[in-house]
Amino acid sequence: MTVLQLTDVTGGYTRKPVIKELSFTIGEGELVGLIGLNGAGKSTTIKHIIGTLLPQQGEIRLNGVTLSEDLDKYRSSFSYIPETPVLYDELTLREHLELTAMAYGIDEQTLEVRSQSLLKEFRMEKRLNWFPSHFSKGMRQKVMIMCAFLVNPQLYIIDEPFVGLDPLGIQSLLEQMDEKKKDGASILMSTHILSTAEKHCDRIILLHEGRVRAQGTMNDLRRAFQMPNATLDDLYIAMTKEQDHE
Amino acid sequence: MNNLQEVWSKRFNHYMTEVQKYMRFVFTGHLALVLVFVIGAVGYQYSEWLKEVAGTFPAEWIVAMAIGFILALSRPVTLLREPDQVYLLPLESKMSSYFISALKWTFWSQTGLPFIIYIVAIPLLKAVTELSSGQIWLGLAVIVVLKYLNVHSEFNYRYANRGASLAIDRITRGVLSILTVQSALTDGYSYVIIFIILLFVYNRTLAKRVKLQPIPYEHFVKVEQNRMMGFYRFANYFTDVPHLHGSIRRRGWLNFIYSIVQYNQKNTQSYLVYRTFIRTDDHFYLWVRLTAISGLIALFVNIPIVTWIVAAALGFATTIQLKYALLSSGDFRMDRLYPVDGSQRKNAVRKVLRLFMVIQAIVVMLCSIGQPLFFVTGILVIAVSELTFQMTKDPSIEY
Repeated sequence: MTVLQLTDVTGGYTRKPVIKELSFTIGEGELVGLIGLNGAGKSTTIKHIIGTLLPQQGEIRLNGVTLSEDLDKYRSSFSYIPETPVLYDELTLREHLELTAMAYGIDEQTLEVRSQSLLKEFRMEKRLNWFPSHFSKGMRQKVMIMCAFLVNPQLYIIDEPFVGLDPLGIQSLLEQMDEKKKDGASILMSTHILSTAEKHCDRIILLHEGRVRAQGTMNDLRRAFQMPNATLDDLYIAMTKEQDHE
Repeated sequence: MNNLQEVWSKRFNHYMTEVQKYMRFVFTGHLALVLVFVIGAVGYQYSEWLKEVAGTFPAEWIVAMAIGFILALSRPVTLLREPDQVYLLPLESKMSSYFISALKWTFWSQTGLPFIIYIVAIPLLKAVTELSSGQIWLGLAVIVVLKYLNVHSEFNYRYANRGASLAIDRITRGVLSILTVQSALTDGYSYVIIFIILLFVYNRTLAKRVKLQPIPYEHFVKVEQNRMMGFYRFANYFTDVPHLHGSIRRRGWLNFIYSIVQYNQKNTQSYLVYRTFIRTDDHFYLWVRLTAISGLIALFVNIPIVTWIVAAALGFATTIQLKYALLSSGDFRMDRLYPVDGSQRKNAVRKVLRLFMVIQAIVVMLCSIGQPLFFVTGILVIAVSELTFQMTKDPSIEY
């Protein structure tokens, strides 16, 4: 079943589009990597999916609805981990979790059960009453991750998840992602850590200058670039060189 | 040498432009208007009180303590910045010319306050003591000398001790300054000379220790940052200071208020807005300040029409400023993505403001008890606040 479907999406911050006629889908239980150079349009694509930017053309369907058709259903269907953690300076860690649970209509008992296991997994149990000003960059990132996994949505949208996390944090995140995938959730992840993407992603979308340059499994990509046995790093560099020749 | 003088004057100009930029807003803001009212009212009460003040009133001691206390607070204005620790390091031995300019400015910019206090106290001194005009003016000269010594001693003490245990220094200077002013006001000029010599020796001893030390850049930079931060916070009450991050305090004693908000998806924004309002210093102190001013005016100005106008004006100011602060949408926040109704935020802000404006109304009403029709003040505050919220535009942008 298709969870997320982008059809000919064109859009950007101004009239001049950053992403052009973007089309791809993500199915149930799929982990898809969104890969591209700086400025290729990864973050812009994500902003269109989460609905902070509206497409100039094309449409985005999540769980069968567009944002304008059913705002509540659309928004309840995903959770988002931004590249830079966005926290409320005035809320403690406990309150971040509580606020998120409240917003997504999770009852108090479920909140308790889910947050206990997340806090343990990310080793943050002792910081429940702390304000974000006392958190390191990695801890802030962990708060975002815990809030996202607390919601247990159909789709996770994760922007550059590994920057700032310690190795144990990365491990925990990957485990959580794996677990959710097994339960049928889908994940769209943008990253520059290509070896991790290659290892964990079911499919990869290579973005280049706002368009999908290639997408599919690693084997599909190798075929598209005519580079058998290539790693994702090789393919990425090949794409960079293509840009230089243009 | 010239080079460092230039550095100082460049910084000084930059600093003055910055201060002027924000002072404009301070003097055109609503608080300036209120201040005029307050000064007028207090001045009137003061002159009335002078007519009946007892001859035994300890004016000399009170004036000496007020001025001595202010004199002890002589924080140096060095305008040093963080990169100086690296870039000015090779010029360490030449920095004294820079500090001379800095201390000159510190002296001139801070002498005004004890001066004003003394001048305000002159009618009191004339009423209570038998000092001649000449003796009173001599007191002013003593204050100038004391200020000069205080500025230099505090700088040298901070330098020599790298900012540690400043309280000892301030208490020492404070006590000596109080005794000097008190002696000057009671005709004890030989004591004045002794105390001034003591302060002078104190300063020389510190100055000698300074010569053996490298410049404590870290301390002075921190002092500067705190001072500028304080200024920006102050300016932020009147206008929006862009590079200011409102500080957060837990204010645990107000936690009970949060229990108003039930755990329910419909209350998501209320959950957030109550905490944002109570814990953000900018928002919370704005309300505290305007409520206090409104209350004080109601308490001391016994003219109902003035109380009403001030209460209504401050009710309007509180509501509109807090509405904008809590509703305007600057940076991206996670609640933009929440699957909750878009109007929730506005309703939550309305609820929080309604609660705190009712408290303001009660405070002002209690303060005006005794005036005829005192309840009108409270009704006015609530009515103006509701109307303001209803009629002004919604600053949030729909996402």
